[in-house]
Amino acid sequence: MTSSPAASYLPIAVVLLLAVAMGAIVSSLSSLFGPKNPNPVKSTIFEAGSEPAPGTARQRFAVKFYVVALLFIVFDVETVFLYPWAVNFRALGWFGYAEMFVFAATLVVGLVYVWKKGALSWET
Amino acid sequence: MPPIPNLTAADFLPLWPAVVLSLAGMVLLLSEVFLKATEREGESVRTYQAVFTVGAAVLAGGLALSLTFEPARAVFLAFAVLDPFSSFITAVACLGLALTALLSDGFLRQRQAERGEFYALLLFATAGMSLLALSNELIMLFVSLEVMSISTYALAAYLRRGPRPTEAGFKYFILGAFSSALFLYGAALLYSASGTTHLAGLASELGRIFADPSSDRRLVVYCGMALVAAGLAFKVAAVPFHMWAPDVYEGAPTPVTALMSVGVKAASFAALVRVFLAIGRHVEPQVPVLLFSTLAILTMVLGNLLALPQRNVKRMLAYSSISHAGYLLVGVTALFVPQARAGLPGVTVLAAGTRADQADALRAILFYLLTYTVTAVGAFGVVGALERREDETRGFGWDVDRFSGLAQRRPGWAVAMAAFMLSLGGIPPLAGFMGKLLVFRAAVDSGLLMLVVVGVLTSAVGAYYYLRVVVYMFMRPPPEQATLAPHQWGTEVALAVTAAAVVLLGVAPGLVTRWLGPAGHLFGQ
Repeated sequence: MTSSPAASYLPIAVVLLLAVAMGAIVSSLSSLFGPKNPNPVKSTIFEAGSEPAPGTARQRFAVKFYVVALLFIVFDVETVFLYPWAVNFRALGWFGYAEMFVFAATLVVGLVYVWKKGALSWET
Repeated sequence: MPPIPNLTAADFLPLWPAVVLSLAGMVLLLSEVFLKATEREGESVRTYQAVFTVGAAVLAGGLALSLTFEPARAVFLAFAVLDPFSSFITAVACLGLALTALLSDGFLRQRQAERGEFYALLLFATAGMSLLALSNELIMLFVSLEVMSISTYALAAYLRRGPRPTEAGFKYFILGAFSSALFLYGAALLYSASGTTHLAGLASELGRIFADPSSDRRLVVYCGMALVAAGLAFKVAAVPFHMWAPDVYEGAPTPVTALMSVGVKAASFAALVRVFLAIGRHVEPQVPVLLFSTLAILTMVLGNLLALPQRNVKRMLAYSSISHAGYLLVGVTALFVPQARAGLPGVTVLAAGTRADQADALRAILFYLLTYTVTAVGAFGVVGALERREDETRGFGWDVDRFSGLAQRRPGWAVAMAAFMLSLGGIPPLAGFMGKLLVFRAAVDSGLLMLVVVGVLTSAVGAYYYLRVVVYMFMRPPPEQATLAPHQWGTEVALAVTAAAVVLLGVAPGLVTRWLGPAGHLFGQ
């Protein structure tokens, strides 16, 4: 542990340097030795679920992408919270169980709501 | 160390209002999807949602009021506190919610937009306000702030057809997220200086930093303090962080505007007071006084001056809401003066500052928030009852012409609106006058004469634009072919309650102030 605040950032600077160097080396190697067969479709930018945006951010696209993304985030975060609880399940005991039950039940209410609203059916 | 802290049932006590509100919100969400069968059968089917919301608000508010008798203490490992101050703020927020729900029923029915989600979002927002009032730790404070804000972002854009609600929702979301980020950055800096996010621990650590003249962490503390102040000033719409307020208030559905201008403001002021009483008392004493008196003067002067040219009554009320944040900031400034007697420009020492001054200032802020809640909800209620959907997109739905001759067409509304306008202008014997009187008296007791002079002068400016509405209602002939919306029972009840409260609080403020006694001290301050 160093006392100077600037010196304590040194490891971060090293990691940054390493990361930049790795990226630079790998991409220059592949551009040197890799085969190149470009065609127009391959050269376009990849965007999931929609046409690659040609310059404008105001292009409209279906709102269902948002719904799915939001639901994914919600349940993704739920898992993040469930893991530490599962690891400490015995130590946390019934109190932890009740707390997690309330947490999960709240999310179930939301899930039931979006389900009945029809947000989970892609084709409507 | 046992992994489970000793939490008892008493720890959960202060959460009950928020629990009631959130459960009611979830029930409404589920009823919205499961009661679809009865959807379009009759006009009155959906009224149960408003009634249910009012019931939940009354229950939660009653619980909060009964909690004011509990002894003040820290709960949940000092993450939250149970003290009369937070319980009163929750009760005020629940009052705002109940009145808003009453107004929303008729308002949404006219626009065929009755949905359970609307009321559920109102309930979730109010639950966030309740949690915000009792948070005693920066991260809990931030989460509560977001629960409140995200619900109101969605509510601002609720009537989503047309450019104005979209603009309101978008602006509110972007600027609200920005201000949350500022708050969070400030909280991170305070944490980096003190090593804790608990307000009590923060206070004692700041005391140590500022007692040690060689400490190099003062600048970090001041940066953190400034960023936290900026984040919260956004939420209360204090100048120079007010730019979003007129556009958002104008574009949001009028009942939502009412809740934003009272509930969100009350809860944000509670957070501001709690955070700054913890950190402001340990930094150099003149810093919080200068900070809040600058904000207060800017907010009072600019809020009132910008309201002057508005012919659009809803926008005028938005600027009026800004100016009232300024008067409240005078009360907030008074909280810090007893520690900062010496060497402040503009502070005249009249009496030795005591903790009693501070308690008076806190009670004055609470009383002011209550009077502003009933007055502003009533005023926005009349505005909402008068506006018609087809005029909104063209932007003159809220022109002051709409109030012409209201005294002949709807005498009851006109008298109530006159009471609200005079109360907002601070004319005795109405509630707004008593609120201003208490806040200004607390400021005078603290020696903040300059702030009080500015406050009184700007109030006089405010009388001009408030009285203009009254003049239009009583002295202009009604327009030729103006149609008024049919009577809605919810609106009528809400207007009757608020008008009665405006008069009652002005004539007999003792009814409330005698309850406010124990709320003069925050727990641990």
